[in-house]
Amino acid sequence: MPDSLTGRRRSVLHETRCQTCSLSSLCLPLALEVEDMDQFDAIIRRRSPLKKGETLFRQDSPFTSVYAVRSGSLKQVTTEGSGDDQLTNFYLPSELVGLDGIDEEQYPGTVVALETTTVCEIPFDRLDQLSESLPELRGQLYRSMSKELRDDRRMMRLLSRKTADQRLASFFTSLSDRFRRRGYSPYSFRLSMSRADIGNYLGLAVETVSRILGRFQSQGLVEVSGREVHILDLESLIQVAEEEGAK
Amino acid sequence: MQYHDHDGSHYLTYPDAARLATGDGPAALTRALAERTPGAPLALHVRLPFCRQACRFCASQRVPSRDSRQAEPYLTRLDREMVLVSRLLGRLPAVQRLHWGGGAPAFLSLDQMGDLFDRLDARFGLSGARGRDFSIEIDPREADVFTLRHLQALGFNRLSLGVQELDLRVQKAINRIQPRVLTESLVDEAERLGFHSLNLDLIVGLPLQTPRGFGETLDQVIAMTPARITLRRYAHLPERNRPQREILAEDLPDATTRLAILEAARERLDDAGYVHIGLGQFARPDDSLTLALREGRLARDLQGYTHYPPGDQLGLGVAAISRVGDTLTRNALSLADYEAALDASRLPAGAGHRLDAAERLHRDAIEALACRRELDLAELSQAHGLEASAVLADALDRLAPFCRAGMLQRHGERLRLTPDGVWGLTHLLAAFDPARSPVS
Repeated sequence: MPDSLTGRRRSVLHETRCQTCSLSSLCLPLALEVEDMDQFDAIIRRRSPLKKGETLFRQDSPFTSVYAVRSGSLKQVTTEGSGDDQLTNFYLPSELVGLDGIDEEQYPGTVVALETTTVCEIPFDRLDQLSESLPELRGQLYRSMSKELRDDRRMMRLLSRKTADQRLASFFTSLSDRFRRRGYSPYSFRLSMSRADIGNYLGLAVETVSRILGRFQSQGLVEVSGREVHILDLESLIQVAEEEGAK
Repeated sequence: MQYHDHDGSHYLTYPDAARLATGDGPAALTRALAERTPGAPLALHVRLPFCRQACRFCASQRVPSRDSRQAEPYLTRLDREMVLVSRLLGRLPAVQRLHWGGGAPAFLSLDQMGDLFDRLDARFGLSGARGRDFSIEIDPREADVFTLRHLQALGFNRLSLGVQELDLRVQKAINRIQPRVLTESLVDEAERLGFHSLNLDLIVGLPLQTPRGFGETLDQVIAMTPARITLRRYAHLPERNRPQREILAEDLPDATTRLAILEAARERLDDAGYVHIGLGQFARPDDSLTLALREGRLARDLQGYTHYPPGDQLGLGVAAISRVGDTLTRNALSLADYEAALDASRLPAGAGHRLDAAERLHRDAIEALACRRELDLAELSQAHGLEASAVLADALDRLAPFCRAGMLQRHGERLRLTPDGVWGLTHLLAAFDPARSPVS
C-alpha cells in the first residue's frame, strides 16, 4: 500500500502543469497566453496531497505563499482570544487560499484539509514580481481579491440579518453556484464538511442545522443522504435564501 | 392611602385559578372541551417548570434541575397529557397561539425543544402562518444567540426575557447573577431574527433594591429599546414560597421605598415614551398592545395583556391553568401528583371550577376595568341578564374609597379609571375578590 500511495503522489506531482490543469480557466493563469503560462507555471511549487485533517498552515504563521486548490477542499478556522474556534471559510477547487495574509504578513487562520486535497503553492514574492510583467496575471489577482471581499460582505449580511432557514438555504445555493462555475453539476454534490462545521460556519447549533435539513427534505427542496446532496428545487431554495426577515 | 400587601394577582382568571383547590378537574375539563364550538380556535400554554438555579424571589411551582436529561420523564408525561386532551377535542383549526413558560423553557436542550414542538404539532397541528403568535419566556442565563436562532427556526416569533434587576447587589441577594451583556446580546439577536414585541421583565420590591439602583437598571433597559417592559411587584410570602425563605426580611425595601421606586419608574418610562397599558405592563406607542388599547380591543389571556381575542386556552404541564368557556381548571401543583395522574392515564387537572352567573359577571367587570379602563353597570346588567349593581354590591362598596382617592370616577352607571387608577389597578381589582380586603 505505501508503495502505491507514494507512486500515486509522484504521478500527481508530475502531471500537474497549469497548461494541462482542468482548472486553468478558473484559476490565476486564466487570462494568460500559453507562453506566459509557462512562466507562471515555473514559480509554482507542487506539494504532495494533504490528507483529511492535515494542516496546510497554522494561524499566525508567517505569510509566504498563496495556494490554489486543485482538488478536494479545505476549511479556515480562526481561534478567537476566548479560545473559541470559528470556522471562517471553505475553499473549493480553483479558489485561492491565503490572500488574507498579505497585509499583516501572517495567516489569520489555520487551514485544514476536509478530505484528500491537492494544492499548488504560489510563493507570493515571485507572484508579485511576475505580475509586474504580466498585467493579465495582476488583473486576475485583483479579481480574486475583489471576489473574496464581495463574498465576505455577503457572509456578513448573512450572519447579521438572516434566519437559520435563510442561512442554510443560502449556503446550499452558494455551494451550488460554486460547483456550477467549476463545470460540475449544480444539483448534485458531496459535502466534505460535517454538519458541525456547517453550523459553526453559519453561526447555528448543529441541532438547528439538522432540523432545517430535515425540513428542507420534507419540503422537497433538497435530498440529503450522508454527505451527498441533491438539490431538487433550486428556485425555491434561492427564494428562501433571499427572503428578508422572519416569517 | 395604605394598601395591604398582596401577592399581586392580576386576576388573569376569575376566580384566581392559581388558588383553585377543589372540584373534579378532569370532569370539568372533559365537559368544557366537549361543549366547545367545533372549529373554535384554541391557544396552547405549555408549562416547563425546570430551572438550573433557584432564584430567591420565585413564587412559581418549579423543579430545580441540573441537567436537561432530567426533563426527559416530564416531556414523556407532557406528551401523554397531549394525547389524552387531544382525544377530547373535536375539529381544531391550526393553532395560532402557543406559549412556553413556567420555569425556564430554554433549560431544555435544543433537540428536546425540537421534539416538544414536533409533538405539539403532531397532536394539535401548529400554524405556520405569518400571523401566528408563538411566544416563549427566556431566562437569559439559559440562552445564547444559537438558542434564539433555533427557536426562530422552530417557529417562535415573540420573546419575553427575564431581566428582573441589573443592580449587582440585588442580583446577589436574589441569587441570580445576570450581567447586562447577556440580555443585550439576546435583545440584539432577537431583533435581527425578526422576533416582534420583545418584552423585558423587571421586578420591583426585591431585597436591597433602591430607587437609584432601580433607576439605573431602568435606564439601561430603556436603552435596549424593547417593545414592551413589564414591572412586576415582588410579594414576600416565605411561608408559601420556599425559595423566598432565603431572603432576609430586613433587606426588603419598606413601603415608602417601594413607592418611591415605582413612582420614579413610572416617570422614567413615561419620559422614554412608554405607554402604561395597565398592571405594570408598558409598551412603546407603536406596539400592538398600545394600538389595541387605543382602539378598545385590548384583552387579557393567561399570560397577561394581548391584542388577540383571548378565546379558549389549554394549559399543559404541572400547575398549568386552562380556561375553556366558563370553566377553569388547574393541573396538579406537585410534579409527583402530575406524573401519577398521567401514569394512570388520567387528566392531571387537580382542580376545576365552572363559573356561575354571578362569577361570570364579576369576571367581565374585572376585564372591563383592566382592558377598557371603565365599567358600565348598565351594559353588564344587560349582557348578563342580572342587576350588576346588586351582584357587585360588595365590590362597589370596596371600590368607594378608591373613588374618594381619585382613582375611579363614577358617573351614574359608569365607573372610569383615572390615570392614578390605571396605576393602582392591582388594588382595585382585588375589590372584586371576596377573599381579599385590600383597603385598611
